Amino acid sequence: MTRFLQRLAWRLAWRLAGGLLVLLAAASLTFAALHLAPGDPVTAILGGASANPTPEAIAAARHEYGLDRPLAVQYGLYLARIARGELGQSFSLHMPVIAVLRAQAPPTLALMASSLGVAWLLALLSVVPTARRGLSGAIASTLETIGAGLPQFWLGILLLWGLAFEWRLLPPAGNHGLPTLVLPTLSLAIPLAGFLAQVMRESFDLALGQPFILTARARGLGDGAVRLRHALRHALLPCIGLSSWAVGALVGNAVAIEIIFSRQGLGRALFLSVATHDMPLVSGIVLFVALVYILAGLAADTLFILVDPRLKGTRP
Amino acid sequence: MTTLSLAPSMTRQPSRRLRPALGHLGPAAAFLFLALLAVAALAPHLLTHADPLAIAPRDAFHAPSAAHPFGTDQSGRDILARVIHGARQSLALGGGAITLSLGIATILALVGGLGGRIAEQGVRWLIDILFAFPVLVLALLCTATLGSGIVPLIVAIGVGSAAGYTRMVFGQVLSVRDAGYVEAARALGHGPLRIVARHILPNAFRPLVVTATMGVGQTVVWSAALSFLGLGAPPPAAEWGTMLSMGRDFIAEAWWMTFFPGLAIVLTMLSTTIAGRALQRAIEGRGP
Amino acid sequence: MPPQPHPIPHARPALWLGAAALLLAMTGCRRHESHAAAHTPTRGGTLVYATDREPICLDPHVQGDMPQVFLAQQYLDSLVAMDGAGHILPWLATDWTVSDDGRTYLFHLRHDVTFTDGTPFTAEAVRANLDHMVDPHTQSSTAGGYIRQYAGTDVIDAYTAAVHLKTPYAAFLEVLAQGFLGIESPRALARPRDENCQNPVGSGPFRIVRWDHQSQIVLERNPAYRWGPPTALHTGPARLDRIEWRIIPEPSVRFAALQAGEVDVIDSLPPEAETPARRNPDLWLLLADRPGNPTNGTLNTRRAPFDDIRVREAFLRSADIDGALASVFFHHYRRAGGPLSPTTPFYSPAFEHHADYDPDRARALLDQAGWTGRTAQGIRTRGGHPLVVHIPVKASLSAAERTLWEQVQATARATGFDVRLENGDDTTVQEREGQWDYDVRIGYWNTNTADVLRIIFSSAFLGAAGVAGHHQNEAGFSDPAFDRVVDDALLTTDPDRRRALYLQAQTIAARNFLQVTTYPQSTRLALSRAVHDVRLEPSLNVTSLYDSWVTR
Repeated sequence: MTRFLQRLAWRLAWRLAGGLLVLLAAASLTFAALHLAPGDPVTAILGGASANPTPEAIAAARHEYGLDRPLAVQYGLYLARIARGELGQSFSLHMPVIAVLRAQAPPTLALMASSLGVAWLLALLSVVPTARRGLSGAIASTLETIGAGLPQFWLGILLLWGLAFEWRLLPPAGNHGLPTLVLPTLSLAIPLAGFLAQVMRESFDLALGQPFILTARARGLGDGAVRLRHALRHALLPCIGLSSWAVGALVGNAVAIEIIFSRQGLGRALFLSVATHDMPLVSGIVLFVALVYILAGLAADTLFILVDPRLKGTRP
Repeated sequence: MTTLSLAPSMTRQPSRRLRPALGHLGPAAAFLFLALLAVAALAPHLLTHADPLAIAPRDAFHAPSAAHPFGTDQSGRDILARVIHGARQSLALGGGAITLSLGIATILALVGGLGGRIAEQGVRWLIDILFAFPVLVLALLCTATLGSGIVPLIVAIGVGSAAGYTRMVFGQVLSVRDAGYVEAARALGHGPLRIVARHILPNAFRPLVVTATMGVGQTVVWSAALSFLGLGAPPPAAEWGTMLSMGRDFIAEAWWMTFFPGLAIVLTMLSTTIAGRALQRAIEGRGP
Repeated sequence: MPPQPHPIPHARPALWLGAAALLLAMTGCRRHESHAAAHTPTRGGTLVYATDREPICLDPHVQGDMPQVFLAQQYLDSLVAMDGAGHILPWLATDWTVSDDGRTYLFHLRHDVTFTDGTPFTAEAVRANLDHMVDPHTQSSTAGGYIRQYAGTDVIDAYTAAVHLKTPYAAFLEVLAQGFLGIESPRALARPRDENCQNPVGSGPFRIVRWDHQSQIVLERNPAYRWGPPTALHTGPARLDRIEWRIIPEPSVRFAALQAGEVDVIDSLPPEAETPARRNPDLWLLLADRPGNPTNGTLNTRRAPFDDIRVREAFLRSADIDGALASVFFHHYRRAGGPLSPTTPFYSPAFEHHADYDPDRARALLDQAGWTGRTAQGIRTRGGHPLVVHIPVKASLSAAERTLWEQVQATARATGFDVRLENGDDTTVQEREGQWDYDVRIGYWNTNTADVLRIIFSSAFLGAAGVAGHHQNEAGFSDPAFDRVVDDALLTTDPDRRRALYLQAQTIAARNFLQVTTYPQSTRLALSRAVHDVRLEPSLNVTSLYDSWVTR
């Protein structure tokens, strides 16, 4: 058992090192973006193209951000600022980047959590009762393929039109209470459920053909119990991996959905910051996204080990 | 937006089961639709006589009818004609992006799989980095440095979706590398280049035909998503994502403006998926 | 769509009102208030207002975009007010005198005004505000740009301020009436700019209590308020307890939220929602054209092909704006043909049809100008160069206006123009505009004075704007005769003389074919019938919720 824990600790440490590397790379790529994008970085820092800062302000900002020094030094300074947790000031929102993250992350995280939950629910409902069951399995599987093929932004618009505009079952917009979360959640959850269910069905089918299932059945266990207690456990593993991707891709996913439903959140903030070339904010959000991605990977790894103790060091 | 980054997970463990209810009907319909798409992309005038760019402001927002089966848009343009003419751009984007993506994946996978321990770990980390970097920012970088148009979009989507494919191809290369027949070839004294060319490439990349087919559909969705966010083709070009994006403002009055371009995207995606699986079954039938 | 539950008796008046509304719209009446207050005003309650764009900064002095002034009108007061007829009335200033040379304004101030942070309103506050607007660090494009003549303020005593201008400026009081130049607490202004952006402090009927970014701004009543503008319907504190100012950028979603009763008022009612809104008996509309330079595409006269006046006229005459107004604007927007919107003081209707759609004349003009060759695609050429028109298009441009330009692209193509609509994010487009890298620049200018002509066409505005922003003369037009006319108009306060001079200015602008003008900018509100007495502040037709009340 101690050996196992040792291995676990080693794995997590390795993961953490990889995570730091990812953060470093994300910061570096953003730095490159800042310097490759057209226009003087100083105008970007001082309020974008519509501002017309005084020469003194430009000189002060150049000095403050070290833009008057060699590129390598600038890069070092930039990393040092990030390491100290200084994400800077968003000029398009006139507020500190950290405050933007604090305000915009919770609605996006809530959307992520609810869509992941609903996706799992839909996938389980679709797979568990129908796997290896002729017609119903075929129908469910076809629905899963279609679900996985629906672009979220298109689904979102159609749901908005049908359920909010035409039938007025649900509120169309905003961040005001649980009902406004339903439509955005469905738009994200249905395609994700399609993917999850496809992966789950694959492993579920495989598991149902395994000898230990036969043994369980021979012991007189009912079909429902076999599916829920034995086959499902095996089908969960690949789904955990897939879920961690989904969590990592959360902000990217949220962009179109937050725009369509006029929700506040990081996706929309990312889109707006990109549109205004608000580089401090872009790099802040990119770092946050990378962090979420790393944490999701870490969580999935831990879950893997907890769900399946056989797994020892075979996964990256 | 992530449909694509999720896609490889789906193709990683593709369904091998033949669906009795669909039988061969699904693949047949899929290939038929893809053939239709090809015609639309190469010779759109064979499918429609209407001009996708001709405006008729007084005929704006007409619901689907015999004259305009998909209705008309806010400038009175025929939506069917625009959907048909939009196939070329969408497929060019999809094809270009998937080629770039698989190219990157192949190089990284070979380097990582055959370059020793350090390269292997490096590629693993690179995959993580690519996954963690939002494609929207990548698209900005591309449009900022390459200007607007189709090439930056292909680069953005190609690079943005490379992570998933690299992960998959990398896995294939690793499993082939350690397979018995490669060991055997090595034991026979075959050189590394020959082993790569004769054994690793064909075996690791046979599934790629399938992946590429499915990937075209995914990249079409992706490009639609970016067009939806205003990074797409300039007007008046007919492009599915741009049409859909414009239609969303008029969804309460003219659902057909959003519905039909979206349907084209979904059908493309579905038929490439189904066709890909059919191909896969065919390939696995004569497997290694 | 399922039938909407509403009492039958409503149906008929609604129909009648709908017809009346249509009639009013057709006769070009600028306001449509199919709403009669049935009750006496009640106090209390919350009004939920939904708007399209979030202000980037709540202080309207900074930069200065329309969303800022809409919010500013709720929590700021101005030195003077303007009524519907264009007369300047006292507000925070009780009266004033102008020196004979027109360069010193002596303002006498109210004694009883306090800002919501407890700071008293004094001459010191006037000085702090005007200084703040012109301070380069404020980065003020609008307010600062309007008072470039400002030299400084002398505090004569606590309630008397002498404002000095470098040159006479007849439009000074007019711009002071705009919410962009609203008066903020000097104590709050002393904080760093970005801090003041988050929670500025005024003396208005409401105060800002919370800003939930990308979601809503919450305002509460200022219970001490006793200094409402003379244009208001009542005196004393506001009737509402609270305003929730929600940000719902998607136009269709915003209208649906109103229909669903999630919000009480929406602004920027999209053209496609206007017919359903008129038909809905639970809603009423409040529409008004804004003064200033109408929505337009300004032609860059500093480079080919629009350095040639014949090509400019040909382009204007190739653009079928009426077609666009009939399709994507559903006949709800009227055409603006001249350089000024009809609601601007000293507007002349003589230029409404000076450049109507006339493709035959356009072709003849292009022939004259030497664009006689044709490419295989039918694009005209001269000396081997195709007739290309580059139009940068901001990502934030509305779907309706985007469509309008797509239609212009199509109709201009028929006369041989290759119009390229070049998408870009707003920042990139602004950068291109700053470098004169465009043939047509899409824009508008809302202001309550004909002096707008000087800002958009005089050579004084060819360079970077005084304190912030880049050149505002987007046409690159430079004509000494025009400059003289608009400068002279600032020297006199005689209305007849000003009218004559601004007529000349409009004539010169129109004859030079500098802009494809499309439709006047307008304020378009759709309101629930539970909402009463929403007013449009006359200087810019900005929403004022001071008098408003709700019945639940």
